[in-house]
Amino acid sequence: MKSFSWFLHPVIIFIFSIVALGLSLFLYIYWYVEVSAGLQTVLRKTNLDPSQFVSWQTWMVIMVLSILVGIILVGIFIIFVYQMKANALYRLQNNFINSFTHELKTPVTSMQLYLETFRMHELPREMELKYIDYMLADVARLTENINRILNLARIEAKIFEGKFMLHDLVRVVEEFCARNGELFRMSTIRIHNPSGREFPYPINRPLFEMLIMNLLANAVKHNDSETPEVDISFLPQHNGLHISFADNGIGFERSDARKIFRKFYQIERPGRPQEGGSGLGLYMVEHIARLHKGKVRAASKGAGQGAAVTIILPWRPEQPAAQLEPPDVQQ
Amino acid sequence: MEAADTIKILVVEDDAHIAEGLHLNLTLQNYDVQIAANGIDGLRKWKDWRPHLIVLDLMLPGMDGLRVLQNIRLEDERLPILILSARGEAADKIKGFGYGVDDYLAKPFNLEEFLLRVKRLLSRAVWQPGQGERSPGDRESVWSVYVFGNNRIDFTTASAFCRAGEIQLTEQEIKLLKLFISNRGKPLSRRKLLEIGWGYSRDTTSRTVDNFMVRFRKYFEDDPQKPVYFKSRRAVGYVFEHE
Repeated sequence: MKSFSWFLHPVIIFIFSIVALGLSLFLYIYWYVEVSAGLQTVLRKTNLDPSQFVSWQTWMVIMVLSILVGIILVGIFIIFVYQMKANALYRLQNNFINSFTHELKTPVTSMQLYLETFRMHELPREMELKYIDYMLADVARLTENINRILNLARIEAKIFEGKFMLHDLVRVVEEFCARNGELFRMSTIRIHNPSGREFPYPINRPLFEMLIMNLLANAVKHNDSETPEVDISFLPQHNGLHISFADNGIGFERSDARKIFRKFYQIERPGRPQEGGSGLGLYMVEHIARLHKGKVRAASKGAGQGAAVTIILPWRPEQPAAQLEPPDVQQ
Repeated sequence: MEAADTIKILVVEDDAHIAEGLHLNLTLQNYDVQIAANGIDGLRKWKDWRPHLIVLDLMLPGMDGLRVLQNIRLEDERLPILILSARGEAADKIKGFGYGVDDYLAKPFNLEEFLLRVKRLLSRAVWQPGQGERSPGDRESVWSVYVFGNNRIDFTTASAFCRAGEIQLTEQEIKLLKLFISNRGKPLSRRKLLEIGWGYSRDTTSRTVDNFMVRFRKYFEDDPQKPVYFKSRRAVGYVFEHE
């Protein structure tokens, strides 16, 4: 298989280098000992003053050589690991490009098809209207895709609108859900605030709303239940505010818990078709969380058992607004 | 030439809008059209409905379009198949043609061009006898006789001269043999064998593949316990090779 030979070459080179390095260390030491012994014999035979020759203790030679070889070893290993990561990213990027190309070309194809059909045939008005609605849906789909890519580019370049201002996070989430009720009308979204208090924190509202949107969209999309449910909870803990988004979706294996935040990463589920996503949602969520000085964690009891994504923000109960410093942004 | 309204076209396309648009246009051209939204449904409709032409998208959920193509070609090399795909690079086209597709159109496409290509493919298909029919006897085929070791497979009569004498081969056995021969020297995983050889239907398991291999070895190997032609590769699958 093509991917096998891809892997094999760097691994073989790596192993080969390690073996060569080990062998050379052994030989250096061995030859040193030989030469040293030989030199001792010459000295004895010729009665020369040994103090004229620099004599190193054998153990020191071995130590120095081993340290140097050790450093080279670590260097090779680090380069190897970087190479593997670069390969993996390249492959994921390739997959992304393929699936994204399809995502963009499909609505365009649909629109061209219907427009050319209209040109060729005169159809009854209700049929026309039906197909015009299809085309409008395709425009919406295209727009959404374009925005997704642009958002990603903007976030990575740290170019975004809106300043960081103090907002009560519970209110922000409540208002977001109310405003986007239409999108999530087939699902149940509940907000829990057991402590009942407000959580003012400096956020960039458009970005934070993008984060909420991504998490909710994920929870609802990767979900087989009759009614997808998402429970958003605000839990102040010792290390900050935990905002968790728990769903009753298809969950994931423990081993994927950190991987899903990687750029372009999508969990492969052989039974299900690829959901046509971009693999970028959680990557953006983590990025946005970091811009807000927070972090993200994902947990799931296993496949089919739902998942919970938690944003952890360094919120402190008594924090005067003046102390909170927004991060550096280009406006 | 057959009357236009009895010509059946199967469209295998997962995007609902495009599928309906194709259905609409082909129906307006007086063809009889059915849609399949994924590879498995497409193969089922091909077997049950026997279309005269198939319009195939490549990026399908579950089974990939190329696997569907290979599956069909194992049984029917004549059926006109047109690929309609967002993947329009030369490399993709070459791959498609390598697997035996008759035409390849990249998306987004021009409707008039598409309709004309469909029309042309259909009119060419009519000139050859036995279009789309499964009579191994009168089909002119690139597969005739294949010899390896002391075995001789005759595809035209679906029979083989081998260790066990002269035997009749079942359709499934012929398909698998064709698959192995066209991939001579290349290991095939059980999954690939299931998808291409059987169209991966729900009641086949990889035990089925293993049972077939036992059968082949019984027919064609001098010593079935030590296979020379149908070898297994651990964790990869099976491979067919000979000098």
